[in-house]
Amino acid sequence: MSRVCLLVFLGLTSTAQAQSRWNVSLGAGGGAEIARSRIGTTRQRVSGFLLSGEGVATRGRFVARLRYGQGRVTNDTAGRDVAEGEALFGYQPRRWLTVWFGPHARTFVVPGQSDRRWLLWSGRVTARGTLFPGRVESFVELWQGVSGSLNRPAESASGGGAEAGLLLRLARHPLWGRLAYRIEQGRASGAGRRETVEAITLTVGFVPLR
Amino acid sequence: MDPHRLEAHRRMTRALPLLAALGLWSLVAPRAASAQSAAAALAQGARAYEDLELDNAAGLLRRALAVQGSGALAPADADRALMYLAATELLREHADSARAVARRLVLANPRFRPDELVFPPQVLTFYEGIRRATPVVIARAPADTAIRPGSEALAVRLYASTFHDVTATLGTEAGRVVRTLYAGPIGDSLDVHWNGLDSSGTAPPPNGRYAITVTSVDRQRRVARILRLPLEVTQGRVDTLPHPAPPADSLLLPERQSMGPGLKALAPGALTGVAIAVLPSVVANGEDASAARFVVGGSLTIAGIAAFFSHHPGKSIPANVAHNRTLRDAWRREDAEVARRNAERARGMIGIRVGAPVLLTPEAP
Repeated sequence: MSRVCLLVFLGLTSTAQAQSRWNVSLGAGGGAEIARSRIGTTRQRVSGFLLSGEGVATRGRFVARLRYGQGRVTNDTAGRDVAEGEALFGYQPRRWLTVWFGPHARTFVVPGQSDRRWLLWSGRVTARGTLFPGRVESFVELWQGVSGSLNRPAESASGGGAEAGLLLRLARHPLWGRLAYRIEQGRASGAGRRETVEAITLTVGFVPLR
Repeated sequence: MDPHRLEAHRRMTRALPLLAALGLWSLVAPRAASAQSAAAALAQGARAYEDLELDNAAGLLRRALAVQGSGALAPADADRALMYLAATELLREHADSARAVARRLVLANPRFRPDELVFPPQVLTFYEGIRRATPVVIARAPADTAIRPGSEALAVRLYASTFHDVTATLGTEAGRVVRTLYAGPIGDSLDVHWNGLDSSGTAPPPNGRYAITVTSVDRQRRVARILRLPLEVTQGRVDTLPHPAPPADSLLLPERQSMGPGLKALAPGALTGVAIAVLPSVVANGEDASAARFVVGGSLTIAGIAAFFSHHPGKSIPANVAHNRTLRDAWRREDAEVARRNAERARGMIGIRVGAPVLLTPEAP
């Protein structure tokens, strides 16, 4: 499916938007994350800090977004490494609206055990609103997994999430910052496994190409 | 419900619109019918005259002429009806009646001439005789005008039924003669002028009601008819130039910042802040979401409020105020200039309002 998406993206961006310019934005940040897992009546809460990076490429109305984050979440008795990422392809029917599609994955690494990875193919909608024109915007992103899987135990998975926050741009400088709150939940089909992740992130970035 | 009562109720429901329509028709119908009947009676009377059904024609024509008010015949139709009636009465050998009807027609419209293709020579000759024996004038004048006394004049056009002598005077309401405007013969028509001055010839008469009286005299120098044309004279009551309209709203700019842009800026921040508060219950129902999210939500709300006030809602916009003031000042200057020019023009002018003429017949000729 990822190959199909890549081919579609390359095809569309190379033909329909041939005359448009590329716009690329890169960012890096960090954030506090809280993960809650529930298996039947067993609950566990871990929290920690993640570092992340992202890149967004825009051409005309088409846009692609890559995000990757890595960190460690712990509690008094346990700890695990977390790696998460997404690769999304989007289209902007309006200046303030983007629809997305692509995979989203999160892996928990526990020493002595095999990794537990959630993979969800999701459809998303992002809406933006202007507070100060050209300077400050707010955004809300909602997503829903259309298909997914959990590798251990091997089960199908579903889930959804949301992200909302504030985006600031510096006047006359290709720099931007983002303060966001994110919450998402993955649900496995068997045994009532459920993972809920909340994060507050602060990201700064720049636009090397526009 | 009782089936009989139900049926009666249904019938009544069906009959109500019909009754309402009948009621409405009863209000409208009489006026339409009278207007239609006067014109129809004239048409039928004319047809009866042409068919030489003279008694029938006389009855129909009198009926057409008897209709008063909004259903009455138009002046031109009334003239035709009178002419047909005079001819009918003449052919019925009711000479006195024919003479009275013809005289009535001459008094109503001295300029009327019967159609030579419709009426026989006998009728035409009869009517011509009556017209010549009935000296009368009618007057036409502008209903409302203004003149500069001495240099301009009010023109009143007189139309005569026949060649005769007339005397035209301007007098007060009480009958005192202010000016004699004309004394002499009149043929078909005549223009009588009043230059706006009183008997001294130096100043306009004081404000008040006056009348131009045109007296027609017959060959024996007896007064045959008197036409009174009432006038109302007022000093300096004229606005010759129209005042300019004030600036249209579409030309004026808003003088204060509206709330709209501020609210438009506030909404994204406030709505996103609210969204952050409620999203956990939508996405992860049953989980205790972290209160830390309110930091982000609060930041958004504060940013939205700041954005709202950055638009200064309700604050005066000096550039627009100045623009509107320029427009209004220009309009005031133009209005004042028109008022000044009107006042200048009105200085020394008199306004004359002409009323409906009245025809008096002191004695039968």
